[in-house]
Amino acid sequence: MPEIIRFGDRGILVNFEQKIEAEINEQVIRLSEDLLHQHGDSLLYTIPAYCSLTIQYDPKRTNFKALSGSITSLLNRTTSPATSSHRKIEVPVCYDTTFGLDMVEVCANKGINSATLITEHTKPTYRVYMLGFLPGFVYMGKLSQSLWCTRRRDPRLLVPPQSVAIAGAQTGIYPSEAPGGWNIIGRTPLPLIQPDAEEPFLFKAGDLVNFKAISLQEYHEIEEQVKTGIYNLKVSYGF
Amino acid sequence: MASSHLALYFAKPGLFTTIQDKGRFGFQAFGVPTSGALDQAAADLANQLVGNGLDQPLLEVTLMGPKIQFQGNGMIAITGADLSATLNGDRLAVNQGIEVADGDILQFGRPVSGCRAYLSVRGKWIIPTWLSSRSAITQNGKHLTPASIVQKGTTIRIDTSLVDPLRSSSAAIHPPETDPGIRVLPGPEFDRFSRFSIGEFFSRLYRISPDSNRMGYRLQERLSSFSPEEELISSGIIPGTIQITSSGQPIILLADAQTTGGYYRIANVVSQDLDILAQLKPGDTLRFSLTSFEEFS
Repeated sequence: MPEIIRFGDRGILVNFEQKIEAEINEQVIRLSEDLLHQHGDSLLYTIPAYCSLTIQYDPKRTNFKALSGSITSLLNRTTSPATSSHRKIEVPVCYDTTFGLDMVEVCANKGINSATLITEHTKPTYRVYMLGFLPGFVYMGKLSQSLWCTRRRDPRLLVPPQSVAIAGAQTGIYPSEAPGGWNIIGRTPLPLIQPDAEEPFLFKAGDLVNFKAISLQEYHEIEEQVKTGIYNLKVSYGF
Repeated sequence: MASSHLALYFAKPGLFTTIQDKGRFGFQAFGVPTSGALDQAAADLANQLVGNGLDQPLLEVTLMGPKIQFQGNGMIAITGADLSATLNGDRLAVNQGIEVADGDILQFGRPVSGCRAYLSVRGKWIIPTWLSSRSAITQNGKHLTPASIVQKGTTIRIDTSLVDPLRSSSAAIHPPETDPGIRVLPGPEFDRFSRFSIGEFFSRLYRISPDSNRMGYRLQERLSSFSPEEELISSGIIPGTIQITSSGQPIILLADAQTTGGYYRIANVVSQDLDILAQLKPGDTLRFSLTSFEEFS
């Protein structure tokens, strides 16, 4: 049973089993959605993470006792949740060393060539476990075990925007220029944030992602299509 | 009624001058910080003094203030830190409504006390919102909230015809405390620290490090005895979370901090005391005092 603890003077932290697993993350996201649905007016925001949910509430509208009671009953539901459908987004990635700044180093450390790395990285369907670190930064998993790697000993001061990177058992995409220690293996031509769009963020927690390897030329073609607004994002729905 | 406007032209931007409001709530699941005025009480007072609603944006001025030329007539108020504001060279009273006229020059000088001053202007600010707030974001702010970050040559326009009646025009001044005791509640990983570490955490006088900003305050003194067994799986952070890095350094995370992190969260500053923290600057000192959840509902 997840643990419900107080977090600050107007917050709650629900800690699930501390593991990076899709089923646990699914429960986190479901609890977040249910709470926002039932108590949206009294909540300031929620932060779903890998295996925890942070909740901030408006102390003028509710209190810890009332809200933790609702959380307990939501967690105690005996009806097994219907498996929910997820968006599956195809994300083109150019793994050329122009963009894959750490490609050579990662391949050397793993004793593999870049073709193998690309095959291994594009093979799985990833789950977006959470967003954090920067507005729009996506944490995805799990990486094929053959690609697990430590962070760079010297983090870069500026990672270029839309860099696709790996660290530990995770893969992620930098939404904007930022300092970072993950190993950069490619870049996507898709912007992760379009501030003026109705839905500014490309991803949300719970999405599924497939990477598709593209050439430098295709990268520039897609980049141009995005700029002129004619790029069609490839989205399907699956489980 | 004819619309009338007041424009603020920034001949100098100052060290770090941003537009802030109550903050941006509901987008933290996308990694967006809440932002908003760090000293909410001072910001509320500034808006009240000019008869604005508390949700109106205003300027947050940090240590070294901007040079502003007014184009049009209007009313302003300055609250929070005393940063030696002058109007046309004359020292300006703080914490009260002030009439300004076309061509007037507002400047700031030496920081006397506090760290952040708030400049409100009576009227409706014509500033684009992003995700329902006008608050600037520190990280990637030039891309996400460009209109809310003041640069040299920035002009801010305010519609002065749409205003509520004025209610009050002055207020008492609260000088910042020295070595304030910042009230904290136990954080999610409080029990993972040894009794020795907890004792050390609460007995120390901490100095705020120079690399501190709206994202967080780094404290110079480290916990000597802290050796975490492992990093946490990334989990939520709220404004006021105090995390201890693997080298034992405490960082107080503030309104522009990242929304998730993997360091141990030893404590959380109570919301009310974040206003006190907002007025501390690098080199200032503070202590933490433990309070109980029973104080809050």
